Amino acid sequence: MRAATQRCSNHPARPAFAVCMACAKPLCQQCATQWDGIWHCAKCLAAKRGSSQIGSHFGGWLALIFSSLLLLYVSARMMVWAGALLSGMF
Amino acid sequence: MIHAPLSTTSVLDESTDIVSMVSAPWAAVVIATSIPYRFMQAVFIDRLLEVGGEASHYGTLLGTTANLAIASFVFALWGRAVFARACRLAAARGAPPGGEAWRVSPVAFGSYLFTGTLAELIFYATLFSGIGTILAAIVGGLAIGTMELNERASIFGAMRLIARYGRELRIITALVLVFGCAFVIGLVNVTATFGFAMWLADVFLGADLSRWSVLFGEHNRRFVLATFAGAWIAIEPFWIAANVVLVRKAGAAETGEDLRVWFEEVRQP
Repeated sequence: MRAATQRCSNHPARPAFAVCMACAKPLCQQCATQWDGIWHCAKCLAAKRGSSQIGSHFGGWLALIFSSLLLLYVSARMMVWAGALLSGMF
Repeated sequence: MIHAPLSTTSVLDESTDIVSMVSAPWAAVVIATSIPYRFMQAVFIDRLLEVGGEASHYGTLLGTTANLAIASFVFALWGRAVFARACRLAAARGAPPGGEAWRVSPVAFGSYLFTGTLAELIFYATLFSGIGTILAAIVGGLAIGTMELNERASIFGAMRLIARYGRELRIITALVLVFGCAFVIGLVNVTATFGFAMWLADVFLGADLSRWSVLFGEHNRRFVLATFAGAWIAIEPFWIAANVVLVRKAGAAETGEDLRVWFEEVRQP
C-alpha cells in the first residue's frame, strides 16, 4: 500500500500513523490526536476549537444558511415541477 | 476499529457491526425523524396521482404538500446527523456511544444541511434519468459521511470534502447498487410482513379480514406508497452507517492504519 511508506509531515524520520482528516497530512503517533473519532493535526485541531464559536466565521455561516434556504426553496419547487411533468406524461 | 483494507464488502461488514452496536436507541432516532419526510413524500405522490394530468391546475395543493415535505426533510437531516455521529463514535471506540451522540456540532449540521439539500435537489431535478438518481445517492451518501469532517462553515469546504472522498467512486457506486437491491428486498419484506400478520390473524383469531385484505393489497395505492416509504426507512440506518464507515476507512487507508491494526491482531496469540 502506498500509505505504508508515508512519513510524518512534522517528523520525517517517523512513519505515518494516521492522516489528518481535515488537511490530509500524514502524522506520527505523537502528532495525531483523535477527537470525536476523527484524527487531527495540532493546527487543524486548534482551528476546529476556534471555529466552534459561531461568530468566528460570520461570512461563511451567512453563505451557508442563505444557500441552504435557497436550495430548500428550490427543492420544494422542483418537487412540484418534476411531479407535474411526470403526471402529465402518464 | 479498522479491521480490513477498504473494499465494498469490508465497508458493508463493518457497517453491519456498527448498526448492531448503535441500533438502540440511535437507529430509532433516525427512523423516527425519517417517518414524517418519507410519508409526506408518499402523500405528495398520492395527491399527484389523484390529480393526474390536471396537476398544473393544482399548484397550490401540490406546493403546500411539497413545502411540508421539505420542512420535514430538515427534521430528517437532523436525525441522520445524530445517527451518523453515533456511528462515528462507535467506530472509533468499539463501543456504543452515550449521550454525546446528540451533540452534533453546528458546523457539521450546517454543512450537512447544505450538502444534503443539494443532493435532494439533484434527485428531484434528475428524476427522469437513472444516472441522475445514482449521482444524487452518491452525493447524499458522501454528504452524511463527511459531515463531521467540516471544521468551519463554508460551502466550498463542504463540497471539497465530498470531492476528496468521491475519488473512491468505484466503491461508492457499488454501495449504491447494493443498497438498490437492499431496497427491493426491504420492499418484499415489508409487504410479506403485512401478509404474514393477516395470515396469523386469519388462522389463529379467525378474524373477518375481507376489509383489511383490500386495505393491505397491492390494488390500494396508498398501501403501496407506504410500503415503499417503509422499505426505505428500514434500510436508511445501514445506508448512513455504510457511508460513515466508507469515509473513515478511506481516511485510514491512506495512512496504513488498517495495516497497523491488522498486524497487532496477528501478533496477539
